[in-house]
Amino acid sequence: MYRQEGIGKKHLAILEKIKANLEKLNEKMDILIELRQVNEKDTLKLPDAPLDVITLLNMPDHLRKTAVAICRNGRATAEEIANQTNRARAMESSYLNQLVIMGYIKKQRKGKKTQFYLAKDGGELL
Amino acid sequence: MSKLIVVHSYKGGTGKTIMSVNLAALFAKRGKKVAIFDLDFRAPSLFAILRAETRVWLNDYLNKKCEINNVLIDLSSRISGEGKLYAGLADPSPAAMQDMATKGSEWGKRVLSRLISLKEELIGVQKFDYIIFDTSPGLQYSSMNAIVLADLVVLTTTGDCSDVNGTKRMLSEFYTMWETKTGLVINKVLDDEARSNNAEYVKRIEEEYNVPLLGAMPCFCEVLKAEGRYLFPQDKPDHPFTGLLYEIADRIEKKHYTLTCGIQKHHQNTV
Ligand SMILES: Nc1ncnc2c1ncn2[C@@H]1O[C@H](COP(=O)(O)OP(=O)(O)OP(=O)(O)O)[C@@H](O)[C@H]1O
Ligand SMILES: [Mg+2]
Repeated sequence: MYRQEGIGKKHLAILEKIKANLEKLNEKMDILIELRQVNEKDTLKLPDAPLDVITLLNMPDHLRKTAVAICRNGRATAEEIANQTNRARAMESSYLNQLVIMGYIKKQRKGKKTQFYLAKDGGELL
Repeated sequence: MSKLIVVHSYKGGTGKTIMSVNLAALFAKRGKKVAIFDLDFRAPSLFAILRAETRVWLNDYLNKKCEINNVLIDLSSRISGEGKLYAGLADPSPAAMQDMATKGSEWGKRVLSRLISLKEELIGVQKFDYIIFDTSPGLQYSSMNAIVLADLVVLTTTGDCSDVNGTKRMLSEFYTMWETKTGLVINKVLDDEARSNNAEYVKRIEEEYNVPLLGAMPCFCEVLKAEGRYLFPQDKPDHPFTGLLYEIADRIEKKHYTLTCGIQKHHQNTV
C-alpha cells in the first residue's frame, strides 16, 4: 500500500516534469515561428495549398489527428482542438506548432487567444 | 451537431443520390436551411434529378472561377414552409467530366482548401444548418476530400456480398484514418427481419460493421419508378420510404445520439 503510494507520487512528479518540458518546448517553437514570420520573404517558398488528402494520409497518426481537426473546424485554438481529440492541451499545442513549422497550418494571435488555421492560397479568383 | 453530411458508399447504385436529395428535402421541410452539392463529377446526376437550370457549376467554384453563391440554385419554392433548399450541381457535359478526370495533382491540392472555404462560408457566415454532399462511390479523389471534412458520413450499402466486403474494408482501412463519424444505411433490403426497429437485426448489423445503424430501407417499386422525380418528404409524405427517411433524420438530428463507431472508440483507447 505504502509502496504503491510512493510509486504514484513518483509517477506524478515525472508527469509534471514532462509537462513542464513540453511547455518549454512550446515556448521555443513559438519563438521559432515568430522568427519565421519576420523572415517570411527570405525563407523558401512553401507550396500554395499544401494540405491535401495524400499529404494527410502520409502523416504520422498523431499529427494527422490534429491536422484533420483543423480541417474540420477551419479555425480553432489549441484548447478547442484538445477537446475534440481528447488529448492534453500542452500536447496538442506541440503538435499544432509542429504543423505550423512544417508549413501546413498558420498561427495568429487575436487578443488573448491564439488561433490555428489552414494555410490556404489567396482568396482571389483565377 | 452534424453540419456537413457526406453520403458515400463503396459500390455504385446503392442509393446515395436518392438518399442525399430526400434527406436535404426533409431537413428543408423541417424549416432548416440546407444546401445539397453533387460531388459526383464522374457521373453527375443531380442536375437531372432536380431538373434545375444553371450555367455556373460546382466545378467552376472548385476551379476558382467563381464564388459559392454563384453556384447555388434556390429550390426553396419546391418545399412548403419556411425552410430553404439550395443546390450546387456538377457539370454533366462530357468535356467537363473529362476535364475533372484528367486534373493533375496540383489541382487536387486545391480541392481540399476550396471545400474548407465552402464549409466556412456556408456554415460559419451564411448560417446554413446542413450541407449535404452526394459523392462518387469508392475512393475517388473528390469523395476522399469530402470524407476528411465530414461531420458525419452516411454510408449506404446493399446486401450484395461484394459490397458488404468492400464496405467493411473501406471502413477499417480508410475511414479509421480520419476517425470519421459514420452511420450506416442498409438500402434495398429484401427480407422482413431487416427493420431498424428489430433489435436483434440492429445488433447483428452493428456488430458486423462496427458502425451504428441509421436505418434499413426496403426496396420500393415506387422509388424505382419515380426516377428521382419526387421529393418524397414533400410530394409523398405518406409513403413508407418517407417514414423511414424521417427515422434516419431523427437519428442524425438527435443531439445526444453520438454516432461514435466502434472502431473509432478502439482507436482512441490506443492513443
Ligand atoms: N430503396 C429503394 N427502393 C427501390 N429503388 C431504389 C431504392 N434506393 C435506390 N433505388 C434506385 O436505385 C437506383 C440507384 O440509386 P441512386 O442513383 O440513388 O444510387 P447512387 O448510389 O447514387 O448511384 P451512383 O453510385 O451511380 O451515383 C435508382 O434507380 C434508384 O431509384
Ligand atoms: Mg449517385
